[in-house]
Amino acid sequence: MQFPDARRSRALLGAWLIAIFAISAVSDLRLLGVAGAAAALLFRHGLLRNARRVLRSVVPLTVGLSLVSWAWLRLVASRPPELAPFLALGLRTVLVAFLTFAVLERVDLFRALAPWPTATRLLAVTLAQIHALRLLATESLLGLRSRMPRRPHTLDVVRGAGGITGAIFTLSARNARDISDAMRSRGF
Amino acid sequence: MHVPDGFLSPAITLPAYAVAAPIWVRAARKHFGRGAAEALPVMGSLTALAFVVQSIMVPVPGGASTHLSGVALLAVLYGPLAAFVCETLVLLVQALFFGAGGLTVLGVNALALGLLGPAAAWIAFRLVRGWGDGAAAFAAGYLSLQVSALAVAMVLGLQHVLAPGYLPVPPAVTLAAMLVPSLTVAGVLEGLYTVFALSLLRKVDPRAIP
Repeated sequence: MQFPDARRSRALLGAWLIAIFAISAVSDLRLLGVAGAAAALLFRHGLLRNARRVLRSVVPLTVGLSLVSWAWLRLVASRPPELAPFLALGLRTVLVAFLTFAVLERVDLFRALAPWPTATRLLAVTLAQIHALRLLATESLLGLRSRMPRRPHTLDVVRGAGGITGAIFTLSARNARDISDAMRSRGF
Repeated sequence: MHVPDGFLSPAITLPAYAVAAPIWVRAARKHFGRGAAEALPVMGSLTALAFVVQSIMVPVPGGASTHLSGVALLAVLYGPLAAFVCETLVLLVQALFFGAGGLTVLGVNALALGLLGPAAAWIAFRLVRGWGDGAAAFAAGYLSLQVSALAVAMVLGLQHVLAPGYLPVPPAVTLAAMLVPSLTVAGVLEGLYTVFALSLLRKVDPRAIP
């Protein structure tokens, strides 16, 4: 596997940052359309995969809020509200999310952060911890489910989550120290 | 609960960064400064803890589900500034790897969910402690979520007032969308979670409780 070079990763991250702040300032539909077409062309590899991720992560919230707002405005105003601002809102959120997914899968964050060892170590510790703790949380919740003759109710899950916090707390402190020590011994 | 990218214009997101930046610096210096080598693992583990707690989906009546936040617990244990740094990292990881929230709105989300909510939790815990630790923990968890939800709703409302063409969602809708679930379900669950987690931590590691 070929890793993207650090300088390219940093340049791409910088361009992405500028692009998402610029897009977040736009409410003109035509401009957003052009930007969307350019982004789709530029990041055509993996277009469908990233479009699916966008569909799952931001579209439900944007569409839901837009529909409720449209209905509310329709109710309080005598005429139906304009559609263009809702379309622009939807296009803007979709475009920023798409750019984020497309750029971050082309960037090696660890290489991009290489000049800042503290940031690298923090990122490594956090991501490694999240992986380990999610496994523990999933196992604990599965255990909770297997011990109950019925499907756990809301209160059961909340009590279970409170219960595993202690275990997670202890494990995470130990894990983090191990990871941090290992990285320091390798020169990070 | 957090605001996604594209809902707020730079007229709000940039000032939010300007307000959050000095607090990030102060918080990082206070809690993770000189002894960073020793503090980094702690910070990483607290961040991961908050992240994992937020990924536990809780079923709510009606077939929907919500998730816990866990920042009230961090605020009660380590203070609002430590919770601010950890929640910011959680928001950053969520924005970069899971498409939740976003980088342009990081300042706003961090201030609402990482500072105002935890500060309310920290104050509530100390004010209500006379009534017992359980009541104090519940108040901390419940209030932290309400304050965060109200802050997010107000920022979205402000964006609509500043530029209705940019965010066509009126404040009445954002207030209802944020506060109704938070006041009725999510806040109660967060309060109960804080009670259960604190009582268990008291048994596992009593020195952790202030």
